[in-house]
Amino acid sequence: MSSLVYLTLTRLKNNIRDLFHKPSRLIYVVVLAALLIVSLWGSRQPLPLSESYRDLTELAAMATALFLFIFLYAVWNGFSKGGAVFSLSDVNLIFPAPIHRNRALFYGLFRQISVTLLVGLVLFYQYSWLHNLYGLSLGTMALIFLCYVAAVFLGQVTAMTIYTFTSSSERAQRTLKAVVVFLLLLIVLWLGRGFLSSPENRLAGLVGAAVSLPVQLFPVGGWLGWTFSSCLGLGPWWPGLLLCLVWFLGLIFLLTHFDRDWYEDVLRTAELAQSAIAAKKEGTMEAAPTKVRVGATGLKSGWGASAFYYKHKIENRRGGYFLLPPLTLIFAAVLIAYSLFMRETGILTVFAFSVYLQLFTAGQSRINRELYKPFLYLVPESSFSKLLHCLRELAPSALAEAVVVFVPVGLILGLGPLSILVCLFARMTYALLFQSGNLLLERFWSGASKVLIMLLYFLILILLTLPGILIAIFLTVFLSLPGGATTGLLVAGIVNIPVALLLLYLLRNMLQYAEYTR
Amino acid sequence: MLTLNHVTKYYGKNLANDDISFQVDSGQIAILLGPNGAGKSTIIKCIAGLLRFQGEISIGGYGNKTTEAKRLLAYIPETPAVYDMLTVAEHLEFVRRAYRIEDDGYGEALLERFELSDKKDKLGRDLSKGMQQKLSICCGLVHRPKLLIFDEPMVGLDPHAIKELKTLFREQKDQGAALLISTHMIDSVEDYWDVTHIMVQGRFAATQYNHPEELKTRSLEDLFFAVTEGGGQP
Repeated sequence: MSSLVYLTLTRLKNNIRDLFHKPSRLIYVVVLAALLIVSLWGSRQPLPLSESYRDLTELAAMATALFLFIFLYAVWNGFSKGGAVFSLSDVNLIFPAPIHRNRALFYGLFRQISVTLLVGLVLFYQYSWLHNLYGLSLGTMALIFLCYVAAVFLGQVTAMTIYTFTSSSERAQRTLKAVVVFLLLLIVLWLGRGFLSSPENRLAGLVGAAVSLPVQLFPVGGWLGWTFSSCLGLGPWWPGLLLCLVWFLGLIFLLTHFDRDWYEDVLRTAELAQSAIAAKKEGTMEAAPTKVRVGATGLKSGWGASAFYYKHKIENRRGGYFLLPPLTLIFAAVLIAYSLFMRETGILTVFAFSVYLQLFTAGQSRINRELYKPFLYLVPESSFSKLLHCLRELAPSALAEAVVVFVPVGLILGLGPLSILVCLFARMTYALLFQSGNLLLERFWSGASKVLIMLLYFLILILLTLPGILIAIFLTVFLSLPGGATTGLLVAGIVNIPVALLLLYLLRNMLQYAEYTR
Repeated sequence: MLTLNHVTKYYGKNLANDDISFQVDSGQIAILLGPNGAGKSTIIKCIAGLLRFQGEISIGGYGNKTTEAKRLLAYIPETPAVYDMLTVAEHLEFVRRAYRIEDDGYGEALLERFELSDKKDKLGRDLSKGMQQKLSICCGLVHRPKLLIFDEPMVGLDPHAIKELKTLFREQKDQGAALLISTHMIDSVEDYWDVTHIMVQGRFAATQYNHPEELKTRSLEDLFFAVTEGGGQP
């Protein structure tokens, strides 16, 4: 058996075996699988009349946008880091071994496909709402999945090729970057033209532009969008697929026939990826922009526990854009785009989706990162005082997050100023609620396995939202309180505050008892 | 300054420290020596108040989790505790303010001593591992603690910083501070220690005082291997 085949099979075997040695991980996989089955099975209801579905062109536009984003993200990383096709252990063990470079390359690509397939399974969780909204079949969902896998895979190979051929020449990198930006700008202008040219239905104009030939000709993302559109009956299937195939073969030809020693380039990428994994394990990683503007230095204020607050102000200023980390801004863009498609359904659907996304960003606040450093435990101040001062930064960042999301969403949905204000308020209360849930998790399960923590995290946060949701439903539906969705959000927000504060009070001495296990 | 009475620590069902008792007086340097996984870092984290444990730990007569005890303590972890988004100078300012210490230029002097003065406007994330470790040491010292505990302090430091750190150990001892240093490198201990506890599997397997006449007959290294590899009587 070839060494690379042995390595691949042994890794696979050990991963499966590991699953049974760690019950929490097995439970996690079973729960994820169960959710997936429920999501797929729950959508097997008889399809209503096709007239009730939304226009399939919207789905094609969304899919094209996703493929373009995935591909461009990978390519942009390729300019500075290359594609993360190999791990550091691959680099250290395979590269010095007497294995031909091309075989090593194909091993890396195969491994990348398997990783991408696993990550892409997340898309199937979207099946339920896509099915209900667009009448999407399981086969078409599988096609989105395959196109996504292709976008990630081709993106990584493209990134690796770009890095290999341009890492030694800054000028070549600059030129290529300029070409990518120029092409992207053309696409944006084209989409803007579509949006402005249909004042009676701007969404239809935008969608029409997104599935037109100029976008579909954009490398990989556009081609995959083209292929997907054809399966919805929106054009021929072969041009996009053929272009992707030619692109892939072209990249492989470049990597294997120009005798480029890409080992050095991959080594740097693998080292960066490894240090990111190590930093994540130690909890030291800061999801911050690559280039940080230091700006004014010095805390200037703070004494005792309040020094944490002034430190967080500086860190927030340097660690994000407009007080917000990059992931939050991406989610804000997703929500704004989502609200464009959900205008008829009203604010509740968009707000519920925003709270769902908030689950993923709630752990990014400063206090969560602070718990991974010893200073919070060592500073000679009372535990409650330190907690409160660490939570102070939550107010401006939660407000900034709420404004960035709900002012544009409110305008798109045609909400009045009062309704927008209620959305801002409710969103901020969820930030406080989720933060207290995070602290509860840290207090009692900080030493537990990552998988168990993740499971508990979602469970606890969902449970914490229940009092607000149930009371809001009771008051607005059963007692028919006027104001509809806005009143419901206001009630839920008001209930969230005492729930969060009670939890914080109960956790006031957590720094005395929590275990610092990093 | 530091007293431990029957300290036991479990991680789940795993016993990490088993009934540990010892003390470190003011003006004394104590070493925790042991192979990897002996429980040195765990006992140090228990002392720093970062872990729950059974037994008693007091610092300067106060329970180790009280604010009075924390005020006396410096803990320099094995993995440098550095904030990505703070500059070197801001780290020291933050610790000074958090400990309610007025700026008397001591932080600046520490940066000078550990050759970080020219890096004071650099962000924590832009420092090398060795520089992060030096910054972590400066952060520990800036509030003038009376008990200093170091977990593997030499790892990642350059020869100049190691020399400077050893000098600093002696100075702190002369000024009456108590020091507890954990290491698995016998060579790094040299002759500045007063007492060495050799740890094996979470317990104290041997204790050696720095009496030159005793060490002439059997060096610390001989004792270490006798204890850890069974090559002789401890």
